Amino acid sequence: MLETIKLSKSFKGKKAVQDVNLYLDSGESVGLLGPNGAGKSTTISMISSLIKPTAGEIKLNGVNIINNPEQIRRILGVVPQELALYEALSAYENLKFFGSIYKIRGNELDKSIQRALEIVGLQDRQKDLVKTFSGGMKRRVNIAAALLHHPKILILDEPTVGIDPQSRNHILETVRMLNKNEGTTVMYTSHYMEEVEQLCDRLYIMDHGEIIASGTKGELLSILSTEDTIKVQLSKMDDRFVTQVKSIEGVRKVEAANTNLKIIAKKGINLVSELVYLSEQHHIQLINFHTENPSLEDVFLHLTGRTLRD
Amino acid sequence: MGNFIKKDLLIFWRDRKELITVLILPILLVIILNFAFAGLLGKDTESNLDLNLAVVNQDNATDSLEKLKEKLVNEGLVGEGEANVFVEQASHLDPVSMLLNYLDSDELKGLVTIHELGEEEAITKVEDGDLDGILIIPDGFTVESLYAAFVGEAPTKSLEFKMEKETNNTSILFDIVQGFTDQLNYQFALQEMDALENEVTLPTGGVEKVGAGESFTLTQYFTTAMGALFALFLASTVGTKTGLEIRQKVFNRILLTNSNPILFLIGKMVSTFCLTWLQIMFIFVFSHFILDVFPGRTVSFWFGVIGIASLLSLAIAGLAALFTSISLRVRNIDAANGIFMLVILLFGTIGGGFVPIYVLPDWLQQIGEWTPNGISLVMVTKWIQFEDLSNIFTPGLLLIGIFLLFTLLSFALYPKRGEA
Repeated sequence: MLETIKLSKSFKGKKAVQDVNLYLDSGESVGLLGPNGAGKSTTISMISSLIKPTAGEIKLNGVNIINNPEQIRRILGVVPQELALYEALSAYENLKFFGSIYKIRGNELDKSIQRALEIVGLQDRQKDLVKTFSGGMKRRVNIAAALLHHPKILILDEPTVGIDPQSRNHILETVRMLNKNEGTTVMYTSHYMEEVEQLCDRLYIMDHGEIIASGTKGELLSILSTEDTIKVQLSKMDDRFVTQVKSIEGVRKVEAANTNLKIIAKKGINLVSELVYLSEQHHIQLINFHTENPSLEDVFLHLTGRTLRD
Repeated sequence: MGNFIKKDLLIFWRDRKELITVLILPILLVIILNFAFAGLLGKDTESNLDLNLAVVNQDNATDSLEKLKEKLVNEGLVGEGEANVFVEQASHLDPVSMLLNYLDSDELKGLVTIHELGEEEAITKVEDGDLDGILIIPDGFTVESLYAAFVGEAPTKSLEFKMEKETNNTSILFDIVQGFTDQLNYQFALQEMDALENEVTLPTGGVEKVGAGESFTLTQYFTTAMGALFALFLASTVGTKTGLEIRQKVFNRILLTNSNPILFLIGKMVSTFCLTWLQIMFIFVFSHFILDVFPGRTVSFWFGVIGIASLLSLAIAGLAALFTSISLRVRNIDAANGIFMLVILLFGTIGGGFVPIYVLPDWLQQIGEWTPNGISLVMVTKWIQFEDLSNIFTPGLLLIGIFLLFTLLSFALYPKRGEA
């Protein structure tokens, strides 16, 4: 349905996005993961025609729409990371304004507004000014404004940043409903790995402006099929101990936080005896020790060397 | 388009702080400034000037009627009998008494103090700065004035007005004397007085119009200046609000639709025009109700005010459009807002918004008369004084020119999709 081919964008010679290839099939839900500055928002801005790519193509149903973006604007709903709303207007007035500039008129506009408000669960607060809303409610109006013209593709750029768990769950449920019940194609970016895991059929991982991995959750996890993740709780932390753990043959990464260690090591190596030996040497007690199945967070760490929230 | 205008008007209406700033603050300032300056200068400038005029009467009126009769007979214009009849009629018309009565009239009493002095003493006092000017009634003035009235020619003797240097006070005194001459001319069909020395370049009009309530008072100045100044602030406010729309990415949401982005700019212009017009009329009308700024004015006067407010609103709408385009172009919105405020303060200062324009250097005054507020101040001043369309036609065209210039610039600077 939607495809980008070698999509690139440079700002003053500095490459923000480079050779991004991604696609969205009709009705699927795709996650775009990456830390701050990875190039996710720039990619979304290019797809939604807000900025022109320096190079590459954006194809909608096989047709390049870079020079003819009206087509994509008609079927694309974008929920920006920022609250793109007029705080001095009520939820209804905001939606009426944005609906009218989508050229929706009269009864049809009113129906669209009520439908959007119903989807985000704010029908009873529609007459209230947006500035009186909580952060979560504002985010929901932000989503409603992108639904007025019944978009076939919905792009959500970190729609749950800084809100309470209840509103977050509501938004996730809304996105799931739009995707599963209404057949809306969804592209979802987030810092929260669990949201993406929960909502998306496929994932793209971006870093430094490039797609560094893509696939279903299972496909991405298989990247780590040759590794084990071992979590160890210690009685105290000692830098020399950590250094010696890192030097154990087969250990690929060690993360230390307070008295906890997260060790990524080659599958099958016997770490227990080595850890017991080293802990005795440093007079450290091993309080807890267990092996974890790798998560997408681990995959991300493995691929980028940093966590999503870095 | 209507949606953009409605949205902007609604946002403005909901911003109570802004509303008070643009509607209530100027009226408060007009009231405060009016009372503050009324304490220092009096409510109207002309009623507190305390002008001092020396009158040097060199005319010997005792045998003037006899001399007139002789002159009429000697010139062979009339016979003795006819001359007697004219002299009898003229005895009821003494130009010198009329002049002194005029200067002592209720209308001028609080304004001019008359000092009847000899010429030398008067000159000394004027030179010392004790008096503002000297009016000399030359010898033979009565005879020549009456003779001129009879033959319908210009009198050979004229009133002389002398002064040390030209000031606002001497100009007003000259106006007053000129006013008397006009009255005399009206009655005797005499020609205008010659000012032998230091003739003052007079504005059209004169003291007789002051008496008819067509002066430009300090309160009228404050009302006009505040109206124009706060209209400028409105343009800056529109620019700032655009900055907020960009910062909040609302403008991006507009770009995501297939609406023509230029509607955003046109919406800003139209809403600014409406707001500015309402603001100016609100200031004029409320100031008038509170302070009786324009007493006894006709409906046609108010139509003129509406016209001037409309033209100024047009120019301000153009300026707001320019600020909007700049806001969309620049990366640092705060810096842009700072620049807008600087422009407004500059326009406000040189356009007479903070201090009367005549206290500024000439070159600055000339520049100030090209600012939207400066032009509108000139227009209102002229309209109040003369209520003549021909006087405000050219500055009106200038305001339209400014609107077109700003609009063209704003359209040229307005970013295309993908540039903002």
